Amino acid sequence: MCLPNKKLRQPCGRHRQGKASANSEIPAIPSVLCRISHPISALTPLTFGMADQKGTKRSSVESDAQDSKRIKTDDKPNPYLAHLNMDGANDFKSPLDEMERHNTTALQAAKAEDSDINPWTGKPHSENYFKILRTRRDLPVSKQREEFLELYHKTQILVFVGETGSGKTTQIPQYVLYDEMPHQTGKLIACTQPRRVAAMSVAQRVANELDVELGQEVGYSIRFENRTGPKTLLKYMTDGQLLREAMHDPNMNRYSCIILDEAHERTLATDILMALLKEIAHRRNDLKIIVMSATLDAQKFQSYFSLRKEDPPAPLLAVPGRTHPVEIFYTPEPERDYVEAAVRTVLQIHAVEPEGDILLFLTGEEEIEDACRRISLEVDDMVRESDAGPLAIYPLYGTLPPHQQQKIFDKAPEPFRKGGRPGRKCIVATNIAETSLTIDGIVYVVDPGFSKQKIYNPRSRVESLLVSPISKASAQQRAGRAGRTRPGKCFRLYTEKAFKKELIEQTYPEILRSNLSNTILELKKLGVEDLVHFDFMDPPAPETMMRALEELNYLACLDDDGGLTKLGSLASEFPLDPALAVMLISSPEFYCSNEILSITSLLSVPQIWIRPNNNRKRADEMKAQFAHPDGDHLTLLNAYHAYKGAEQNGEDVKKWCHEHFLSFRHLSSADNVRAQLKRIMETHEIELVSTPFNNKDYYTNIRRALLAGFFMQVAMRESSNSKIYKTVKDDQMVMIHPSTVVSSPYDWVVYNEFVLTTKQYIRTVTNEIAPVYYDVDTFEKGEIKSALVRLTEKVKRRQAMKGGY
Amino acid sequence: MFMGGFAFKSDMPLLFRVRVFLAPATLYLAHGLISFIALTLIPRFIKNSPSTSNNEHWPRLKTLATSALSNNLTYYPSAVYPPYQPQTLKMSTTNNNNHPQEEEEEDDYMSPLFLAPPTTTSSALPIKESSLQRRARLKREAEARSRPKSKAELAQEAELQREKAHSTSLLASKPQSKGLAMMAKMGFRPGSTLGSSSSGSAEPIRVSIKEGKEGIGLESERKRKLKELVENMEKTEKKIKVGEVDYRERMRQEREEQRLEGQVRGAQKVAEGLDSERAKERGEEMGKRRLKGIPVVWRGLVKVREESERDRRMRRDLEEHAMSRLPTYDDGDEDADDRKALGKKKVVYEVAEDLDEEDEELDEFNGLTGEEKLRRLVEYLRKEHHYCFWCKFKYEDERMEGCPGLTEEEHD
Repeated sequence: MCLPNKKLRQPCGRHRQGKASANSEIPAIPSVLCRISHPISALTPLTFGMADQKGTKRSSVESDAQDSKRIKTDDKPNPYLAHLNMDGANDFKSPLDEMERHNTTALQAAKAEDSDINPWTGKPHSENYFKILRTRRDLPVSKQREEFLELYHKTQILVFVGETGSGKTTQIPQYVLYDEMPHQTGKLIACTQPRRVAAMSVAQRVANELDVELGQEVGYSIRFENRTGPKTLLKYMTDGQLLREAMHDPNMNRYSCIILDEAHERTLATDILMALLKEIAHRRNDLKIIVMSATLDAQKFQSYFSLRKEDPPAPLLAVPGRTHPVEIFYTPEPERDYVEAAVRTVLQIHAVEPEGDILLFLTGEEEIEDACRRISLEVDDMVRESDAGPLAIYPLYGTLPPHQQQKIFDKAPEPFRKGGRPGRKCIVATNIAETSLTIDGIVYVVDPGFSKQKIYNPRSRVESLLVSPISKASAQQRAGRAGRTRPGKCFRLYTEKAFKKELIEQTYPEILRSNLSNTILELKKLGVEDLVHFDFMDPPAPETMMRALEELNYLACLDDDGGLTKLGSLASEFPLDPALAVMLISSPEFYCSNEILSITSLLSVPQIWIRPNNNRKRADEMKAQFAHPDGDHLTLLNAYHAYKGAEQNGEDVKKWCHEHFLSFRHLSSADNVRAQLKRIMETHEIELVSTPFNNKDYYTNIRRALLAGFFMQVAMRESSNSKIYKTVKDDQMVMIHPSTVVSSPYDWVVYNEFVLTTKQYIRTVTNEIAPVYYDVDTFEKGEIKSALVRLTEKVKRRQAMKGGY
Repeated sequence: MFMGGFAFKSDMPLLFRVRVFLAPATLYLAHGLISFIALTLIPRFIKNSPSTSNNEHWPRLKTLATSALSNNLTYYPSAVYPPYQPQTLKMSTTNNNNHPQEEEEEDDYMSPLFLAPPTTTSSALPIKESSLQRRARLKREAEARSRPKSKAELAQEAELQREKAHSTSLLASKPQSKGLAMMAKMGFRPGSTLGSSSSGSAEPIRVSIKEGKEGIGLESERKRKLKELVENMEKTEKKIKVGEVDYRERMRQEREEQRLEGQVRGAQKVAEGLDSERAKERGEEMGKRRLKGIPVVWRGLVKVREESERDRRMRRDLEEHAMSRLPTYDDGDEDADDRKALGKKKVVYEVAEDLDEEDEELDEFNGLTGEEKLRRLVEYLRKEHHYCFWCKFKYEDERMEGCPGLTEEEHD
């Protein structure tokens, strides 16, 4: 049984540790515990209508963040910028001086770009600059610079359509830069990207193009990493980052122009930003907005951005991409095994088709690695038996280490001998390669028609990544990848009939496929009162919003009237899921905020456990070393402490991780996330405390703190010797994921993730229950209700006994 | 080297050519057969079971059947002990709670209670259960409870639960959600959608789980094939079902149909003869080369004739070509006799120009019953030619004196 058999221990002021322990990475050990008889304060009166059971519970904190600074969020115009201009004016005559803001021409701008002195730094242009400038002038978008500027001057909101490869992401912000003159106004230009990697790499590219140092005039800002400075004029950022900034700058006063790039991807943050910017545009006539999309589905954006009802749709500028015709082939019959069919197709292409690289789309890491293995085995045979050319195979997926991702840009291998059959490369990728990455040389695309998509259903609270058929629009995108350098071919592993009948037109925007509790909290923080009539481009289902509000209410982030509570306001400061944020904020009450901080960081990065296919047994043995009988959260903590211990002992951490089958990359990024979160906690004066390690309540306290955030994700064992659990509120039958360390079955478990594959699993579980979180009256009659009632009575009895009456 | 996949050719058409490899194909067939059996046989089995005639009950019955072993001794009169239901039944009881426990109420002649003389007050007073019986019952119940469920059962249960959750809207759930209350304060009414315009969707996106590595379209293709198979089975089943009792009736009907068709053909021939005769008399050229110019009542006759003629000719041409050179080849040495012998003499034969065109009028006519066709023909002949098909006589004028009437019976 897993009853909380001790009274909840509460730290009291007298015994709280001072700064010294709060700051140490390894939990310091407070001397005495203080017993308080009243129950948990911040979160106690939680009525509980329906239980929660969430899917992927990796929080939104992303992984590999590096050295970082806190986001600067001042509303005032940046005084340094004006200063910079004054400085520059003394030194040289800038071509910018002749240009009038919002009245420039492409010719003027070109002249400024051609000048020997860099108008933004005052330093002479490097040779490389002019080399890049020539290639920039060749981009399709360059021919329409004048047209763009004219339209930009005329309107407040502009929709810009340019296919991948048109140069819009790098060039348009620069065109705006030469027109907005941020050094005069002190207001920045922002360009959002849906992906962190894109924000970083594009910023680097544009810094090169402008011949400035990254982080100075051109910078980027992603979660946990801010490379901008006082001189920054142009800032690339993730859409989520801009949304977070909006919480403290509701009018976006720092910016004079905001460019939403890759709007066709319709990420959650982009959708919310569009609605917000539409509102801000009413208030701020001087704010210019450009919505950039790679697909021709621009009408929707145009009509959405006509600010008032009587206004015409927002003007559109379209730039043709550099595309060649792509021939499309379908299979005559549906495939029995799309991976097998894909492998065969790649091999056939390699055997008979002329030179040109291959891009194969698959759904996930495991599938991709498997396909790569199979292709390379077969190719070896082909080379031996039928004199085929060499084939280099590269996997590509999100969790691949960056240096391996870079390999896809390597040149195709040379033929084995002079005059031999040409070599080619084959990239096996997830849908990252669909829009966000441009790989030249691809001539053949193999499209089985599936991708992994996030899906959320408020009714069962399933939130999972599921393999689903792609949409027609994304099938066209995929085919388009084949025509980047020359006419190409796209092999679709489904019939034409299936394409027409079974694929949906457009991929559902993320807002329809997500749990919105985080978004609703953000909107509340942004001051949106009427969520029901909020101008979503694609409004989510009412039940989704209902669930989100409900969950935030349980977490005490919203009061019963829907008002933001103090806790809610504080929770929104953390770039975490509300449940994780609440757990973190309330952890000092359980005297274990250091540990909960570590656990939160570990839950915010991808799995730290490595389990290679060829060495599973050894990996499991190694994991068993860290195993804690109470569950996976504590096992994670053990591993982290061991990692930090190894680091302090001066061991080679990389080697240590390799030996222990732990991911160094993910552990170090967890370390980094921890540092960021710690800073936020310090800013908001949330104390960092620990229970002494040798105190018998060390782990009990952590378990209780876990429950403070995740009491909605609790499952009860069905019967005493069953492996089946039932989630407390949704009554869904689940099993504990085989990766768990929990061997003795507990009656109650709190879990981090609800994984839906062909079975329903809960992952990362720890044994704990506290009936205090549940308002039993709201439960439907059944086993779980009666079990909870029994438990409540037991706890009451125990308290009465201890209380001594 | 390749077992299957695409076969590329330099002049490859827009479609892939796939060589089907044998072993997987047979496996696939076997799989199809198994699922076919599962779909067709199991429901039928259930249809035949005496306890119910309703197909909707079958998921419930299936769980019953699996737990029947541990269950069949627990049938006590329901007034005495509430019939024990194993846990597997729980979800189905909520689904169809309108089923009185028919199965359980049936007397179980294996039960010791069956032999015991019924007490008059049995429905009012509980029968005393001996301690041994009680122990045995409890033991049985505990065993049933503790029996580990098979993976398939569990998967089915989980899926059922999920489906149930996915198909019930939360907006109507009781007690009302706090989230909904908050939304109501913002002006939301159940049934409406979110957003400033009413463009949003009221329903969340459905979750569908893909199992295995099947390609797009395979599932629906398989369903389609299965459906066809089932339909065919049903058709043959129906035919058999007609049974021996109806045999005579059926034979009689078939003969009657044949006779009518024969009469229709006869009447059509008469009509054709009379029409062309009249046309000749009037000196008109019958629009023979255009089918649509022919009255619909006998157009079918001509069409069939033309078609068979064309087929015959095509076959003959084909045979000739197969024996000789290409039809375009012209041999200078041939004289007129050679050509005639080789059948190369240009035969002037033209099919009706609209032979292949769609002809709705004719299709409609062909769709009629034999009786109706005949009636129309008889009417046509009477009206146009004052000819009675039954008297086989062409009358002088439209009064047609002496003809007893329109139908065959009247001529008996």
